[in-house]
Amino acid sequence: MIIEALEVVFLFVTALMIAYLIRHYIFTLTVLRKAKKAKVDVVVNAKYEPTVSILIPARNEEKVIGRLLQRIAELTYPHDKLQVIVIDDASSDSTGRIADEYSSKYAFIEVLHRENSNGGRGKASAMNAGFKCATGEIVLCFDADYYPQKVIVEKLTKEFADPHVGAVQGRVVVLNEPQNMVTRLVALERIGGYRVDQEARDDLGLIAQFGGTVGGFRRSVLASLRGWDESILAEDTDLTFRVYLAGYKVRYVVDAECYEEAVDNWKAYRQQRYRWARGHMQCCFKHSLKVLKSKNLRAKEKVDGLLLLNVYFMPLVVLLSFIIGIPLIFFESSKLVGALWFSVPISFYSFVGNFAPFFEVGIGAYLDGRTRTQWLIPLLIFTFFYNIPICAKAFLDLLVSKIKRKDRSIWVKTSHLGNGNCYIVN
Amino acid sequence: MKFESSRLVLGLFLEAIVLCLITSFRFINIESTVTLLIFNLLFLSLTFQLNGALNRKLGMLALGNIIGLFWNFLLYFFAIAGVMFFGEIFNVFYAVFYPLLNFMWIVSFWSLSLSVLPNPKSMHTEVKP
Repeated sequence: MIIEALEVVFLFVTALMIAYLIRHYIFTLTVLRKAKKAKVDVVVNAKYEPTVSILIPARNEEKVIGRLLQRIAELTYPHDKLQVIVIDDASSDSTGRIADEYSSKYAFIEVLHRENSNGGRGKASAMNAGFKCATGEIVLCFDADYYPQKVIVEKLTKEFADPHVGAVQGRVVVLNEPQNMVTRLVALERIGGYRVDQEARDDLGLIAQFGGTVGGFRRSVLASLRGWDESILAEDTDLTFRVYLAGYKVRYVVDAECYEEAVDNWKAYRQQRYRWARGHMQCCFKHSLKVLKSKNLRAKEKVDGLLLLNVYFMPLVVLLSFIIGIPLIFFESSKLVGALWFSVPISFYSFVGNFAPFFEVGIGAYLDGRTRTQWLIPLLIFTFFYNIPICAKAFLDLLVSKIKRKDRSIWVKTSHLGNGNCYIVN
Repeated sequence: MKFESSRLVLGLFLEAIVLCLITSFRFINIESTVTLLIFNLLFLSLTFQLNGALNRKLGMLALGNIIGLFWNFLLYFFAIAGVMFFGEIFNVFYAVFYPLLNFMWIVSFWSLSLSVLPNPKSMHTEVKP
């Protein structure tokens, strides 16, 4: 009786894993098919030049904020249509002073200083404070450690010419990739997510995701959604689903590149992934039912949305399948279990976050022209194992907080040391 | 990037026939056949769509299969030796970890084979590679 029950659970979890693998296999094929088509140069609609507000939340970012503001000053978008708001979120270093220097030099750069009494409550809180001061028709966001292309505003805003588009997302590329093994692996993860996953979802008309930075919103849509939800740690995923549920689309622009300084040690990696995992799980609890009931989403969007919302549960599902599978093999249960046992190790070679399997990451790296980086793909297994306890802790903490009815989300900020500066081509 | 679906289907069928033959001769077990089929499916449907001469891709595919078979033989002999030393309990250990060990060569060979093919140029112009 117990064996039969375990078999049913095993069949369910492996079916889930296979569903994810098939999903990402389709994504990979889609991107490959697209890459084969002749490249057409993107013609930017010169007539569509809305006013744009750029929000830059910054808390203790003195090592990187100057680099970003210098690049903002070099943007090709007409400066008279730009409003840049740096939100100095109760910084204790010279972030505010550096921002003030740029503000005195460039009229379109403004600085919003937040004191300890109202600042330091996380990114969503800082963004809402900045949004109150934003006047542009389009609101874009960049994290302080990012370094955008000069033409990025044109590339991102052109999508808003379509009135059904509520939000847009550009591509994130790791700036400090050669720094060490952690940054190289994070770069691979980003390739899987942004070169293949996001592009395929956009191409297939599924749920393209707003990633919290290198993207933005139509101001009217963001206002109707009442800005960022400060109680959610993955405020980007939360907004993505709120945009879709409100009947708008998110578009992904693969050639709108922005370079980020990735975490460069395992502790920072753990803290960042914990925040993402817990935030994503919060979104899963908040939106799953709404996604199922929504009349604004098509069936394929609902399926993709649910898979996306549950993605941080996958390491736990894989672990569960492994734990259940061992006694089933020990007691020599049905042949089907033996056959499905093969789907478990494929999942081990996947990146958590978008559940990008090794073949998806490999194709993304190939299309990006990263020969050497491809050789690190077998190491995905270690990052997957590392993510299992992270996701388990995030889930347990969230569960406890739900039971206690005290979902106290503490934002642990990733510190940036400016290690990516030396990789910028001047 | 030339890609002909008829070649892909033909290749898959040929692979399936060869692998079934090998299995029927008891050279490798059914699990190994499944692993090789997964490798061939991924290689034919994904790698064959990338840049590079067809001959080179076919060569890589053949090499992958040879490595896969060799790897499976090694694991098989390892299992026999393990059962002799540790008894029947080793079979359970082998059954649990066998798929994991089997995928090690697939992922490694896959990532290496991609770098043998001519890569498209990097898109990123504003950062050092």
